[in-house]
Amino acid sequence: MFQPSKRDGVVVAGFDGSGDGQVLDLDTAVKDGVLGGFGGGIIGADVGEKLDLKKMTEELDLPEIPSVFICPISLEPMQDPITLCTGQTYERSNILKWFNLGHYTCPTTMQELWDDSITPNRTLYHLIYTWFSQKYSLMKKKSEDVQGRVSELIQTLKKAKGQARIQALKELRQVVAVHATAMKTVVDEGGVSLISSLLGPFTSHAVGSEAIAILVNLELDSESKTYLMQPTRISLMVDMLNEGSVETKINCTRLIEKLMEEKEFRSESISSHRLLVGLMRLVKDKRHSNGILSGLSLLRSICLHKQVMSLTVSIGAVPQLVELLPALEPDCLELALFILDTLSSLPEGKAALKDCRNTIPNMVKLLMRVSENCTEYALSILWSVCKLAPEECSSVAVEAGLAAKLLLVIQSGCNPVLKQKSSELLKLCSLNYTDTIFISKCKLTRTIQ
Amino acid sequence: MGLLCSKNRHYAEADIEENAQAAEIERRIEQETKAEKHIQKLLLLGAGESGKSTIFKQIKLLFQTGFDEAELKSYVSVIDANIYQTIKILYDGSKEFAHNDVNSSKYVLSSENKVIGEKLSEIGSRLDYPRLNRELAEEIGELWKDSAIQETYARGIELQVPDCTHYFMENLQRLSDANYVPTKEDVLYARVRTTGVVEIQFSPVGENKKSGEVYRLFDVGGQRNERRKWIHLFEGVTAVIFCAAINEYDQTLFEDEQKNRMMETKELFDWVLKQPCFEKTSFMLFLNKFDIFEKKVLKVPLNVCEWFKDYQPVSAGKQEIEHAFEFIKKKFEELYFQSTAPDRVDRVFKVYRTTALDQKVVKKTFKLVDETLRRRNLLEAGLL
Repeated sequence: MFQPSKRDGVVVAGFDGSGDGQVLDLDTAVKDGVLGGFGGGIIGADVGEKLDLKKMTEELDLPEIPSVFICPISLEPMQDPITLCTGQTYERSNILKWFNLGHYTCPTTMQELWDDSITPNRTLYHLIYTWFSQKYSLMKKKSEDVQGRVSELIQTLKKAKGQARIQALKELRQVVAVHATAMKTVVDEGGVSLISSLLGPFTSHAVGSEAIAILVNLELDSESKTYLMQPTRISLMVDMLNEGSVETKINCTRLIEKLMEEKEFRSESISSHRLLVGLMRLVKDKRHSNGILSGLSLLRSICLHKQVMSLTVSIGAVPQLVELLPALEPDCLELALFILDTLSSLPEGKAALKDCRNTIPNMVKLLMRVSENCTEYALSILWSVCKLAPEECSSVAVEAGLAAKLLLVIQSGCNPVLKQKSSELLKLCSLNYTDTIFISKCKLTRTIQ
Repeated sequence: MGLLCSKNRHYAEADIEENAQAAEIERRIEQETKAEKHIQKLLLLGAGESGKSTIFKQIKLLFQTGFDEAELKSYVSVIDANIYQTIKILYDGSKEFAHNDVNSSKYVLSSENKVIGEKLSEIGSRLDYPRLNRELAEEIGELWKDSAIQETYARGIELQVPDCTHYFMENLQRLSDANYVPTKEDVLYARVRTTGVVEIQFSPVGENKKSGEVYRLFDVGGQRNERRKWIHLFEGVTAVIFCAAINEYDQTLFEDEQKNRMMETKELFDWVLKQPCFEKTSFMLFLNKFDIFEKKVLKVPLNVCEWFKDYQPVSAGKQEIEHAFEFIKKKFEELYFQSTAPDRVDRVFKVYRTTALDQKVVKKTFKLVDETLRRRNLLEAGLL
């Protein structure tokens, strides 16, 4: 016969040699995956710590928990399971709430209860506890493994050169991408300043792209950001933005945007032809939509700096953005329109908008099409352009169906400022037409609809 | 009959031999054309004294067998010439300043040094220079130490005094040794005005020895009269390495004392960028002579150059140097984008800060250039 031994509060049968396949104890049951949870792993040797079930459940936050552990009322794992006379088990607090509401039935079977006693389901409790403990121990061990690996990699990086350096960076990047805990370890062990120091005037693309890929996902403090903002490092990022893979380009874009949030940021750093031309190239690359989004996002942040707005117009960004509009997704559209609207506040921006043939038709199409913000920006742009050259532009706009769209805006639930602007624009456009002709232009035709 | 036969046979043999030779030549041409396609052509361009030849020499030292003793020795006469020419320029300059300048007394030499000066000036005007010996070296050294000459040297940019002056003057004893063999550094400093075209073929050796890239580097003369020879080289160029000496913002051309050197470089760069053959060529801009720039920029403001007239200094010391450098870099970038048509905007364009005399810097810089060009090749082959 077997001798059950007590080990760390859990009944364990001599599984080391018995091997007769019988489920004799809690640990084996859970270990072998009888309950449908994830199998395998190390038997919870640390259970003796008397871990709090609630704490473990929250920390683990696992998506797949065995269904028998879940309370039918809250659909959350149970902390204090109790069983009714119908044999159904619920979380104590939930079922008590149910009773307090005046119900005397079993929620799942709908039967009326013939016995109002509630029995704590100790068996189930033990199972839940053991299962979570195992998962928790596993997670802790993995986390320590990860932390250990990260430490190792950082030590390697302090000395490695050439290919070894690139390899270490690559591995670190992968570890950080998979394990959230790794990020914290990197920061704690001084990884940020170490990796940042690798970025210099002679940094190769291979090293630079890996370094940026790591840094962009980390929490950077003020000091690190200031360090990264120095011209040589920004210059390196701009280089990689121009020459790297899409992933590298996006990483550089996101990192620069992060750095711009710092209040010490000087707009001189981003006042660079190479940066803006590179960004526009990214934004125009139709094959990679996430590139377009991050590119536009950075461009938007950049355009908030007055000094750089003029430069943006000078590299021909306006017509390029206008041409892009029809193909953009809604979130990108809003960004692009915001940028164009901001640039329209400059005289050269207005001129560029006017000179581009497709500005007016594209803007008219976008009114009341996508979102209120888009409508606001499109309207503002149309306003700028029409004010600049009223005769020329308003006729083009009206022919493109502007009048009908403006009426839509006025009749819609948009904010009053928008409606006000629409009616002003409508008035401006109507100046060149007789009343009858203008009214005919206001009709919504099929194409405009 | 026999005679005829044998004559025919003689002709036939000659024919066969000729055909065989022609076929061999055809085959060789085909092979070489194929090999040529893999050779990447790099062109060093820039105004006179921008550092092109120094870069050229550095590449030779880094990736070829360097200079053998015979080659090193061939530089002795060049160095001698540099020394004589320089001391003559300084001496003649001191006389000119003594004559014309308000503070003429600053530029008056001691009477012994005047004698030396006259002697050296005469030597410097000859076509053939004598080998530098102990006696001459001492005399030159004495003259160099004279305060009048030092004062003149301080205004060296007005006289087209070459950058290597200080280096050679400080090493006169070593250079005048009977068994003097120039060091690599001496060779790098030696100044010869390049005329015509010089080329070397090399394969950059890195960690991964079999990098496979073969480059052919061409060096040209930078002065105006040399530039008409450039155009013959413009076909099929992978990358142009354009050298611009950033310390020259307050100097005038050797060939035209009215023209500011930086303005000349600006116009030259613009011209090169617009060349039709360079539609797909990568541009590596080497902002050279940073070591001299560093010292100058804190004393001579950038705005003396018309192109940089809108420069505003922000601080002092190292920060200011960096700031000034970034300003110049931005100016060149601006020029690049203004001179580049929209269809060419995707060319590779990168700016590097160099000090051509520093071998480590040139090596690291070239590693980056190599990486960029390799990536570009992969991109064009659709592999990236």
